[in-house]
Amino acid sequence: MHKNTYVFFFAAAVTITCSILLAAAANLLKDRQQENIAFDIQKNILASAELGSAEMIRQEVLDLYDKYIRSKVVNLQGEEVSDKTVDQIDPKKDLDLLPLYYAEENGEISAYIIPISGKGLWSTIYGYLALENDLNTIMGITFYKHGETPGLGGEIEKDWFKNNFKGKKIYSPDGELVSITVIKGKVEELIPAEEAYHYVDGISGSTLTGNGLNNFLKNDLQTYKPYFDKLKEQRMEQ
Amino acid sequence: MAEASATVDTQVQAKPKEKLFSKKNKRTLSDPLSDNNPITLQVLGICSALAVTVQVPTALVMSGAVVFVLTISNVTVSILRNKIPSKIRIIVELAIVATLVILVDQILKAFLYDISKQLSVFVGLIITNCIILGRAEAFALQNKPWPSFLDGLGNALGYAIILLVVATGREILGSGSFFGFQLFPDSWYAAGYENMGLMVLSPGAFILLGLIIWGQRMISQKFEEN
Repeated sequence: MHKNTYVFFFAAAVTITCSILLAAAANLLKDRQQENIAFDIQKNILASAELGSAEMIRQEVLDLYDKYIRSKVVNLQGEEVSDKTVDQIDPKKDLDLLPLYYAEENGEISAYIIPISGKGLWSTIYGYLALENDLNTIMGITFYKHGETPGLGGEIEKDWFKNNFKGKKIYSPDGELVSITVIKGKVEELIPAEEAYHYVDGISGSTLTGNGLNNFLKNDLQTYKPYFDKLKEQRMEQ
Repeated sequence: MAEASATVDTQVQAKPKEKLFSKKNKRTLSDPLSDNNPITLQVLGICSALAVTVQVPTALVMSGAVVFVLTISNVTVSILRNKIPSKIRIIVELAIVATLVILVDQILKAFLYDISKQLSVFVGLIITNCIILGRAEAFALQNKPWPSFLDGLGNALGYAIILLVVATGREILGSGSFFGFQLFPDSWYAAGYENMGLMVLSPGAFILLGLIIWGQRMISQKFEEN
């Protein structure tokens, strides 16, 4: 049998060796990983606006992004902020600033893309939501980072779930922001046809992930509403 | 752990000159590939075998990760086997395994980001894969580094073979492709051929795995009699 002091020192040695190894690896690989994450975000912004495909190689994605995607900063009052770019927003300090992306094709804006994020069941879910030019119809939605259970809440990143959002409306006919609700079960069985465009099918076994999604989707749409309202006013005047 | 310790193998004694590939060492490597396969005979590591076998590329990367972790953890535990205090040996083994797994995860995130996203939590879950801790406990703690290396490699490859067979079956039947290349011409689909949706879901893996286990036990005639 080993003495207690030996056990103690052995444990300390193992801990220190392991942490040095991991710290070194994390530091060495950090740049590459962040590059990958940034690239993945660009790919998701494109995907939400239905640009490009999953099979694109890296350079194609970057080219496409440069060609179509523009961004600007807006604030909570719905005004455009011109002295900052999206990358300069510090999420901790600039609480009243919001990044807004849009896809521009031949001078016409085809999609407005907003970042969405919030609590699911186990984790914070991050994604993008693209609205069509009418600022009402959903063009696409993506989720690029989450820690939900694979096969249950993790299904949110699957195509069948994301495709359900396409063509749904966030405003009711009388102009109220109702957002989109993930229900428990199938829309066609449970929701009358005239309201179906505010609801999407749920994932069985992950009601709580769906509830979380409903909450943050509505919240995020609320925060961008002032800007979208101003945009609509401007259009009316023209 | 009970299943794993059934295969304790403690006969490597201090013979001064044992050949690198003596009969026993060869068996250490080859047994887990078929007769003592960790998945089909010991039925360990099923969780990840079900989760990452929808397509061949993810299964291949997962297999590579397990080969890396299992061989290195076995060798490390074996080198330290006389130094590790028995009171804290499980924790030490776990620390070694966990360090290796986090290392693999970091490397995947840096170089194979898309696949690492698909593997999601399952790379991290290699830490709790019973095969790895099982081999450390049952073999590496009692044997020298070289046999431990072979044992780790053999078990990891045994795991990999089953993973790849299941993934090949699931990808061909479920997605009609192999390594992402479409196998069946569009005219087949036009003529009414359909991909088997069940194979994309976890039950498909269960069914294939069950068939493999059944087939193997039929051939080897090794099964538990009641």
